[in-house]
Amino acid sequence: MKKDIKIRCLMSRDTMPISGAEQAVYALVDIKAGSGTMFGTMPANFGLVLDRSGSMEGEKMDNLKEAVGYVADHLGDNDLVSVTIFDDQVETLIPNQPAKNREDIKSMLAKVIPRGGTQISDGLKAGIDEVKKGFSKDRVNHILLLTDGQTWDDEEACLTLSDAAGQQGIAITSIGIGEDWNEKLLLQIAERSHGNSHWIQNPISILDAFQQDVEGVQSVAAVNLKVTARMSQGVKPVKVYTTAPMIADVSKKVVNTSGVIADLGSLDGKKGQAVLIETRVAAQKAGKFRLGQVEVTYDIPSQGVKGQSVKADMFVTFSADALAATKVNAEVMNLVEKVSAFKLQTRALSEAEAGNIAAATRKLQSAATVLLNMGEDELAEAAEREILSLKKTGALTSAGTKKLEYGTRKLTQVLTETAK
Amino acid sequence: MKCKECQMENIEGALFCEECGAKLETMGGLLDSAVETGGKGTILVFKTADGNKLEIPAKEDVVIGREDPISEVFPDLDLTNFGGAEGGVSRKHAVIHHAGNIFTIEDMGSTNGTYVNKKRIQPHVPQTIAPGDELKFGKLAFSLQAA
Repeated sequence: MKKDIKIRCLMSRDTMPISGAEQAVYALVDIKAGSGTMFGTMPANFGLVLDRSGSMEGEKMDNLKEAVGYVADHLGDNDLVSVTIFDDQVETLIPNQPAKNREDIKSMLAKVIPRGGTQISDGLKAGIDEVKKGFSKDRVNHILLLTDGQTWDDEEACLTLSDAAGQQGIAITSIGIGEDWNEKLLLQIAERSHGNSHWIQNPISILDAFQQDVEGVQSVAAVNLKVTARMSQGVKPVKVYTTAPMIADVSKKVVNTSGVIADLGSLDGKKGQAVLIETRVAAQKAGKFRLGQVEVTYDIPSQGVKGQSVKADMFVTFSADALAATKVNAEVMNLVEKVSAFKLQTRALSEAEAGNIAAATRKLQSAATVLLNMGEDELAEAAEREILSLKKTGALTSAGTKKLEYGTRKLTQVLTETAK
Repeated sequence: MKCKECQMENIEGALFCEECGAKLETMGGLLDSAVETGGKGTILVFKTADGNKLEIPAKEDVVIGREDPISEVFPDLDLTNFGGAEGGVSRKHAVIHHAGNIFTIEDMGSTNGTYVNKKRIQPHVPQTIAPGDELKFGKLAFSLQAA
C-alpha cells in the first residue's frame, strides 16, 4: 500500500553508556509526505480577519488591500473565502462564499477606511463564525488574522477562541505589523490553534506573508495529524517540542505519565513536521532496549483516507563500550541546539518581565553566545542590544523582544537555496 | 556531566547545558578547532567562478566563515570580501580538517548550509573532499583545486 506519510525516528544516541543512573535521551520524530503524495487536493475555507483601526492608515492599509487582492486571485473557484474587518466594532465585509467573486472582494475592500481602536476578540469571533459556516472536514479550514495594535483588555477571550478553533480544526495564522502589538498574544493565538505567526516590520512585506500563508494552505498534505508516543517502563517523557511552522514547547498540553499525545493540526506537504521528545531513561543492563513506539495518525479526506496510521519503534543499545556511546546523531543534535537557543531566549524574556534584571542579563548573554556559535549573527546582536537596554533602562525594547521571540522560534527555517 | 562554561551539573545524556546552552563534553572540540595555529605552505586553493584564488592554509583545522572583530571571530578563511554576508555565510561556517593526505569538511551548524558537489552535508559530520569538488557555503560557490 502506498504510504501517504513517512516517519523517521532518530535517537540522540544509538548507543548509551551503562552508567547506573538515569539518562537523557532525545527522540526526533520526522514526519514527511510520502513521495508521490498529492498536495493541494483539499479545497480551502479561508477567513481573513483584518484590523482596520486608525493606525492602519496609509502604507499599511494600501499594502493590505493589495495582499487581499492576491488572496482573492490565488484561491480556486472551489475554495471558500470570508473577510471580516474590525476596529472596536466588527463588520463582515464578505460573508463566507465561493472565492470566485474576486472583483467583488477587491472592490469591497477598496472602500475600507481606517478608523477606531483595536478589539481583536470581537473580530476573531466573527471571523471564526464565518469560517464555521463553510466548515467541512474535507476542507483546509483556516484564518489569517492581521493587526498592528494592542487589543483592549480581551486577551483571555482571544486565547479561549484560539483554543476552540484549534480543537475544531481551524488554524489561525496571526500577523503583527510594526512594533505596537502584543507578540505574546499573537504567538499564543497561533500555537493554540496549530497555526503560524509572523512579525512584519515593513508594510511592504504584508504581501509576502499573505503569499506564504496561501501557499501553506495549498500545500496541506494531511489533516488531523496526531503523534502518540507510548513509552516502555522506565522511560519518562519530560518535554515535547514541535518545530514547524515554528518551534513551540507543547509539553504542558501533550505529556502524560506514560507517554505523549500531541495534536498537530495539518501537515504541510512541502515542509513536513518534526517533533522532539526529551525523555529520561532509567538505568538499564547491556543490550538493546526499546524506549517505546511512536504512532502518527492522519486523515486525507479528499482521498478517502481516515485514521490512517504509521508506526515506528524507538530503540537504543546500552553498552559498556564507552567510545561507541560518545557518538551523537548530528540531525538530532542540530535540532536540540536550536531548541536550546529558543529555551534560553524564552527564559531570559520571562526573567526580564518578572523584573529579575540580573538573571535576564545572564540568560541573554548565554543566548547571544549560543546564537553566535550557530552563525545566527543578527539574533546574537539583537540579544546583545537587549542586554544594553536592560542595563540602561531596566527593560527590554519592543522591537528587540519581537526579534528574539520570532527569530528563535523560526531557527528551524533556513533560507531557501536560490543559486542555480 | 558538568558544563565547562558555567559548571552546572547536567543529567547524563544531555547534549547542551540546561543553564547556559553550551555544548556539553560529548561534542567537545568541535567548535574550538578554530584556535589551531601554525602550518606550512599551501596545498589546496579555492577558485571562484571569476578565477580568483583563495589559499587554504596547510594546517590541521581551517575555519571558514566571516570575520567579526566585535564578537572576536577570526576565521582562517574569511569570506567577507567574497560576498560572504550577502551569500549567507555564517561567522563560523565550516572547518576543513587535514590529516595526512586526507581532507574532510565539516559544517559547523551553519544557518544556510555547506554543500559538496551540490549536495548539502549534515552538520558536524565530516565529509571527505578532494581537488575537483565544488564547495558551497550558503550561496557562495568555489571549486577546490590543488595549489
